[in-house]
Amino acid sequence: MNLVVFACRNLARRPWRTALAFVGLAAAIGTLAVLSALTAGYERELRKELDRSGVQLMLVPLGCPYDAAARVLKGRVLDASLPAEALAQVRRDPAVAAAAPLLLCAQVRTNEDRADLWVGIDESAPALKPWWRVQRGKAWFSSTNGVILGSEVATLEMRAPGDRLYCPGADATFTVDGVLDRSGTSDDSLFFVPLGRAQQLFGQPGRLTAIAIRLRDPALLAEAARRLQAIPGAQVVTTTEVMGVFQNLIGTVRALLSAVAIVAVTVGCLTVLNTLLAAVLERAAELALLRALGASRSQVVLALAVEALLLTSAAALAGLLGAAFGGAWIQDAVRQWIPLAPERLATPLSLPLIGQSILLGVGTGLVAVLYPAVCALRMAPAEATRTA
Amino acid sequence: MNPSPDQAVVAAEALTKVYRRAAEDVRALDGVSLTVRRGEFVAIVGPSGAGKTTLLNLLGCMDAPSSGRLWLEGREVQQLNERGRTHLRRERLGFVFQHFGLVPTLTVAENVALPLVFARRTADGRVSRLLEKVGLSSRRNHRPHELSGGEMQRVAIARALVNEPALLLADEPTGNLDSVTGEAVIALLRQLNAEGLTVVVVTHNPALAGAAGRQLRLADGRLAG
Repeated sequence: MNLVVFACRNLARRPWRTALAFVGLAAAIGTLAVLSALTAGYERELRKELDRSGVQLMLVPLGCPYDAAARVLKGRVLDASLPAEALAQVRRDPAVAAAAPLLLCAQVRTNEDRADLWVGIDESAPALKPWWRVQRGKAWFSSTNGVILGSEVATLEMRAPGDRLYCPGADATFTVDGVLDRSGTSDDSLFFVPLGRAQQLFGQPGRLTAIAIRLRDPALLAEAARRLQAIPGAQVVTTTEVMGVFQNLIGTVRALLSAVAIVAVTVGCLTVLNTLLAAVLERAAELALLRALGASRSQVVLALAVEALLLTSAAALAGLLGAAFGGAWIQDAVRQWIPLAPERLATPLSLPLIGQSILLGVGTGLVAVLYPAVCALRMAPAEATRTA
Repeated sequence: MNPSPDQAVVAAEALTKVYRRAAEDVRALDGVSLTVRRGEFVAIVGPSGAGKTTLLNLLGCMDAPSSGRLWLEGREVQQLNERGRTHLRRERLGFVFQHFGLVPTLTVAENVALPLVFARRTADGRVSRLLEKVGLSSRRNHRPHELSGGEMQRVAIARALVNEPALLLADEPTGNLDSVTGEAVIALLRQLNAEGLTVVVVTHNPALAGAAGRQLRLADGRLAG
C-alpha cells in the first residue's frame, strides 16, 4: 500500500460527493479548453482566409470602413455602394496587380427563414480566389444567365450543372454552369452570377459593393492606399485592419465566454475545496490517528494533496477528453454568438492547451488543499485517544 | 533521574499536565514520577478523570507535559523537536486504542501495514506473520466493518507491532469488548509480554489489571501508594 492507494480509497469513501466535484471541475476545464481552442481557431482560420485571398486592400463605400470590409469578406450585404468609375480608377493605379469588383445582394426567403447571398463578379475574381476548384460543370459562366454555386448551396438547392434555378427576389431563372468544391470559406454558401447581370437584376446598375485589390508588391501598400483613398465616395481598408475589426468584434464575446469559463473553474475549485474540507473535518479523528501512528505533518498534508491532485488531475483529463470529443458541439453552440465566424472552425486541442489544462487542474488541486491542510495540521495526535 | 537505557524503557520525573478550560486551570497530572523497565507489563488503573489517558498520551509522545521530564529508552523527550517525537512514535512506540482506530476504507492487511507506509518501509512478509500471530490470516482482505470487536482489536494490536516497537501502549484495550473477547485480547497481550515486549495499559478491567505484573494507581492526577 502507498499514499496513492490510500488517497484513492478516501476518494471512494463518499462516491457521490467525489463524483460531483469531479464532474464540476471536468466540465469547467473542458469548457475553458474548448473556448481557448475556439478563440485560437477563430484567429487562425481568419488569418488563413485573408492570406489565401491574396487581397491586401479593400475599397469600400464611405461609412464605417472596417465594418464594411468585414461584411464584404464574410459575404454580407452593405447598405451603401461604390460608383462604377471607382473600378477603372483602381485598375489604373500602377501598384495594383488585380482588382476584383463585387456586388453583394441578399435575397430573403421568409417562408424558409433564410437569406440567399448573390454575388456579382467579373473575370478578375478567380485571380483573387486561388482556392476555387470546380467540382462539377464549368469554371465560368457560359451566358449572362449562368450561375455558379458554392458547394453548400448546391446541396441545399439540390442543383447540378445544367439545372435551372429560379431566384424569387429578382424574378429570374438561371442555368447552373458549375458547382464549386468545398473551400471552407464563405464562398461555399454563395450564388455567383456575372456582375453586369447582378447589377441589372438587383437594381444597382453601375454600382459595386466593394473592390478587392491585390498589389504588385506588398511594400507598395502605403502609397497605393494613399492614392486610392482619393477616390470620391470610397475609402481604403487594409487586411491587417480587417483582422483587427474581426478581433474587436469578437472581443466582447470572448471576454464574456472567458468570464463564464473562469467562473466555472472557480466554482469547480470551490467544489473541490468543499469536498476536501468536508473530508478533513469528517476524518479529524482519523487524521489524528495517522499522526499518532507516526505520520509526520508533511505526510498528512501529502496524503491530502495526493487526494486533491488525483481528483483534479483526473477531472482535467476528463475535461480534455470531453473537449476533444464534444468540442465540436460546444463550438456549434457558441459560434452563433460570435459575429462573422469563419465557416470552418477546426480547433483541435493543441499540446500547449493540453498542458495548460492539466496545469490548471493541478493548480486547482493545490489551491483547494491549502485550507484543509491547515485544518489537518492543527490536529494533535492526542486526539486519537479521545476519538479513535 | 536518568536511568540506564538498558533497564528503563520509560522514566518520568514529576510529570505535570495542566489544561486551560475556560478561565480555569485543570491539573490533569500532578507531579507523576515512574519507571517502566524493559520487559515489564504495567497496568495504570484508577477512576475516570484520574489522568490515566493523559499520562498515556505523555508517555506516547502524543502530548507535551506542562512541566517535568520524560525519558524514553534513555532519550529525553523534551529535547526532541516535533520531527523527533514523530520519529519516536513511529519507530519505538506502538499504540492500541479503546475504539480500535482502524481506517474503515483499508483492508485488515492495509491497516496493519499503515505505519510502514509512514516509515517508508516495505512489509516483507511482516504483515502476514503478524496476522498469523493474532489469528487473523483468513481475514486479511476484509474491511473493519466486517470484523467483530475482538477481531478489530487484534488487528489494532498487529498494527501496533508492525514497526517492532520497544513499548506497547494500550488505552482501555478491552473497554469495548465483551468478557470472552476481552480475555482473548488479554491473553494476546500477556503472550507478547512473555516474548519480551514492554507493555503499559490503561484499564478499568480488573482482569487485565490482574494480568499485569505491576499496577500503578492514579487518583486526582497523582500516583497513589
